[in-house]
Amino acid sequence: MWGRALAGALPGFFLAAALTGLLAWCAPGPWQDAVVPSLIFFVPTWMLILGGAFLFADARRAWGWLTAAAALAFALLGALKTLGWVL
Amino acid sequence: MKPSSTTLRTFTTVHTWVGLAAGFALFVAFYAGAITVFRDALPLWQSPHRLDRVQWLGDAQRLLDGVLERHPEARTHMGMLFPGGELPQSIAYWQDKTGVWQFATLDDLDGNAQRPFTELADLVNELHYSVGLPVAGTYLMGLVSLLYGVALFSGLLIHWPKLTKDLFALRPGRNLKQFWQDAHNVIGVLSLPFHILFAVTGVVLCLVFVFASALNPLVFDGKLMQALPAALDTAPQRPVANVPAAPRSLSFWYARSVEAARAQGLDAFEPAYLKLANAGDANAVVEVTGVSSRSLGPQGSIALAAASGDVLASQLPGHRDANHATLASAYALHFGDYGNAVVPWLYFLLGLGGAFLFYSGNLLWIESRRKRRQLQQSRAAISMGRATVGVCIGLCVAVSAAFVAAQVFEAAAPTHVDAGIRWTCFASWGACVAWAAVRSPAQAARELLWAAAAVTAAVAAAHGIVSGQWLWNGSASGVGIASFVDAIALAMSIAFAMLARATAYRMRHGDPNSIWASGGARR
Repeated sequence: MWGRALAGALPGFFLAAALTGLLAWCAPGPWQDAVVPSLIFFVPTWMLILGGAFLFADARRAWGWLTAAAALAFALLGALKTLGWVL
Repeated sequence: MKPSSTTLRTFTTVHTWVGLAAGFALFVAFYAGAITVFRDALPLWQSPHRLDRVQWLGDAQRLLDGVLERHPEARTHMGMLFPGGELPQSIAYWQDKTGVWQFATLDDLDGNAQRPFTELADLVNELHYSVGLPVAGTYLMGLVSLLYGVALFSGLLIHWPKLTKDLFALRPGRNLKQFWQDAHNVIGVLSLPFHILFAVTGVVLCLVFVFASALNPLVFDGKLMQALPAALDTAPQRPVANVPAAPRSLSFWYARSVEAARAQGLDAFEPAYLKLANAGDANAVVEVTGVSSRSLGPQGSIALAAASGDVLASQLPGHRDANHATLASAYALHFGDYGNAVVPWLYFLLGLGGAFLFYSGNLLWIESRRKRRQLQQSRAAISMGRATVGVCIGLCVAVSAAFVAAQVFEAAAPTHVDAGIRWTCFASWGACVAWAAVRSPAQAARELLWAAAAVTAAVAAAHGIVSGQWLWNGSASGVGIASFVDAIALAMSIAFAMLARATAYRMRHGDPNSIWASGGARR
């Protein structure tokens, strides 16, 4: 139980942060134009991940998948920024 | 999709423990939140004699001039309420040299750190967003709201297979646990959209700056803090010109903002408060915030050059950017400040319904651990019963006691209203918790419910004795708002008395193998 809860809280936090970043940067216009909706988006996203982490069969899988997803999402965000495809 | 039995078991455990961890604080948040819906009525109820005269803009102008003359710090930045909106009288506020907010009225131009008229409303509001704990309370409530979101998610998932079949099932009868479970489910499901809304906006309101600091380096390249002023404020930052210029009058700004709103198609824009920066300077800016109906985010604002009255910027319903539209809607949705007069009542009922949800959650935990074949119940069940009764019903007693104290102190010691209501509230709450700790859960429930009924009835009585406004003559003398607070108090007093009688009936006639039976709570 605690293992999956922590997976939602730690890698889950970073996954929610990266998804918030993707939403903020990929939305049309500079991210500054919709920073309030982006910040609000972070909250239900993290909540869903905190709850959804218990859908994994055990703590190892929860940590593995959520860490991988967070890393992937940050890599995607970083690539988009570096390539200059988003404002 | 039907979740597997392992998933259901996992999520039942998650729901139970997250619910128990957050349930007590959420009961407080929802009960106090239900009352906070009517926060604007409380000052008039608390101190009618201090608010009996409705001010006009001329009075507010004298307040503004007096504050700016006496307090140089207020010239940098100050705010004030227009009279007749939130309160009949105007209040001006600014931060002193040490950063502490000061509040002044026309009768007290020197200012005071305690906001006048709203002591009771502020106390109930603090209970709502921080359980009354200073500083850490807000973070605690943010964390609790986060757990509340997880509880909603897990609760929905557990209930999912039976969601449609059991939606309107409320089965009274021999199986009382089923009845409580049905009540818990139906309130949870029918108010789910609002519960999701409260959970999300609750976390946002309590923790947004914590999250902003964390997300700033992670995804916003450290540029978030520069972006926030433009996203949150209406008035642009204007440098001080260091050239003195006579500001226009308050009534000019008022008329100018109404006119500017009408130019954008808003016929009913009512200025509620203003923010004034660099008063007396040629580049002084005044930001007038007001309310227009027919919008989900009714609050909008207009920034004017204080000296010329030129419109510098505006964020009004229908004409604002994504940031301001979302912010105004999120606020209004959390506080029920949109729509017509039905919405506050809906939010009041949602608040009480939410409080019931957390109370019944604790009862279900106790019930599902009940030993059905013996009088002796587990220690954990008895302790949970005591804690639930002491904290939850104790809070109802404490809030009503604070209302009574507000009337008593207004009459006897008007300078000590704030301290008086706080001491009364927290002392009576502590006393209720202590009382529940030494009684059996059933006795404590019955006695504290009677106490709640008596103290809540005393709310209306104290107001009647002190102000001479009773339910039957209050509306006639033009203070209908005050008598409506009394009417709610009396209705709630009757409800507490009915619950007390039901608890007593349960003690005598219910299943004896339970902590709620008269002999069932021996250790």
